[in-house]
Amino acid sequence: MADRWRLFKNISKAVSTAEGLAVDDMLPQSVAHHQSPPILHLYTFVPSVIVGKYQDIEAALKLDRCRARGVEYNRRSTGGGTVLMGPEIVALGLGINVDYPGLKGGLGGVFEPLAHVLSKALEEFGIQSYFQPKNDLEVAGKKIAGLSAAHETGKSLLFHTSLLVDFDVPLMTDIMNTPLTKLSDKGYNCFSQRMTTVRQEVGEDVSVKKVVDAIEASFEEEFGIVFQKEEPDEWEREVIQHCTRERYTNQAWIFSHRHPRTRMGLGRLKSRGGLLEIYLALSGGSIENVIITGDFFSTSEDINRLEKALKWTSAREESIGENLSKVWKDDMIYGLDVPTLTKAIMLAKENQVRL
Amino acid sequence: MADIKGYNMPDELYYHEEHSWARVDGTKVTVGMTDFFQREAGDIVFVDLPDEEDEVSQGEVCGKIQSRKWIGNLVAPVSGEIVELNEDLEDDTSLINTDPYGGGWIIVIEASNLEADLGNLIHGDAVADFVEQEIKKAEEEKAKGDG
Repeated sequence: MADRWRLFKNISKAVSTAEGLAVDDMLPQSVAHHQSPPILHLYTFVPSVIVGKYQDIEAALKLDRCRARGVEYNRRSTGGGTVLMGPEIVALGLGINVDYPGLKGGLGGVFEPLAHVLSKALEEFGIQSYFQPKNDLEVAGKKIAGLSAAHETGKSLLFHTSLLVDFDVPLMTDIMNTPLTKLSDKGYNCFSQRMTTVRQEVGEDVSVKKVVDAIEASFEEEFGIVFQKEEPDEWEREVIQHCTRERYTNQAWIFSHRHPRTRMGLGRLKSRGGLLEIYLALSGGSIENVIITGDFFSTSEDINRLEKALKWTSAREESIGENLSKVWKDDMIYGLDVPTLTKAIMLAKENQVRL
Repeated sequence: MADIKGYNMPDELYYHEEHSWARVDGTKVTVGMTDFFQREAGDIVFVDLPDEEDEVSQGEVCGKIQSRKWIGNLVAPVSGEIVELNEDLEDDTSLINTDPYGGGWIIVIEASNLEADLGNLIHGDAVADFVEQEIKKAEEEKAKGDG
């Protein structure tokens, strides 16, 4: 007989960041301490922007623009960078034990099988996606979903995903301090070369409900389980209230200072292959984001591969060179080599300023 | 220095099953994360350190470690008071990757129940069995995932 998982499904009404995130935080607690089987939470948020647990929210967001546009902001309990959420973006929370059959062991081994589940769901719409280690789901080199996780208590973990059914690029550039927004009119073009959505891929107005239903079916198929649709019980509601009070409506949590310093820098280098323009976002000693632009010859897929090789890695020069070399192939950027690209990135690092 | 299946696990250290290590110097215990952990985790991008003077119990989560988008636990291998934090990690968390048993140390604990706590940790000949089991577990789980 197939194992039973619980499903909390709420797509009839977009929820506040406090409500959605507090329910998600409860999921691994219930698995660890309340004898619950794995719980999947599928829902959508009101227009909002959510930073990673260890991000500097004041550096990541233009808070005045968020307030002016009625966009909620909050801080989640899993890692990674800023995500824009809203009624056209599927939010997924999963509470599960790290050694559950089907998950690959090790610290990051949850991402690939869960990305596979999402990928199978997207196949229902004719979208061919694949896992881009370590944390993204991509379609032809463009990100369509981001994954993050936190080891919460005992063996249980919380897994988060945002899957783009549609996306408001102008809103993102208005409220977020990303390197992309520094590119002014190039911003839209840069973004559209790096991300895609279900509607963009399918070319029609696919409903969020259809995507959520496909994800639900894909979990049942891939894990060989059946869902029982439920609501949180009394014990779980108390945990949700506690998380809401202590975290998601608590200014000390939202504006937490437990994060590395955030800085951004621009590096320009004239090279044999053309002008290189590097936009770098640093989080402490690590690269949070890097954008490689300029008037050189390359493909957006190759540029994405290079950028991804550097995201969330050390910003030390030797590390940058090593990570670029791992994915580098001849003429990836025509007329350019790894040392020159590394030099341009180091120029951006030298020019870093605190936001 | 012991090489166990390609992982560096120094002989003189004591290990917690959640992959923190303990180096004993009198009643002071320096704590970090193992080579096995850092290779599984990949690039460490942030360490959420506890505060000095915090009291911790053996097995308690006393810090968080972020690698890319994953947040994992720093588990105290012994009970006691935290007396020192590695402030170099504020600017360069990659020390945990490049020098896990040296510059990548994380905290120092003034141990309150050292002898009993050390008896609960993995040490000496048991370290090889522990690493081999961890490798086997990871391989089995990977095989399940592929199946």
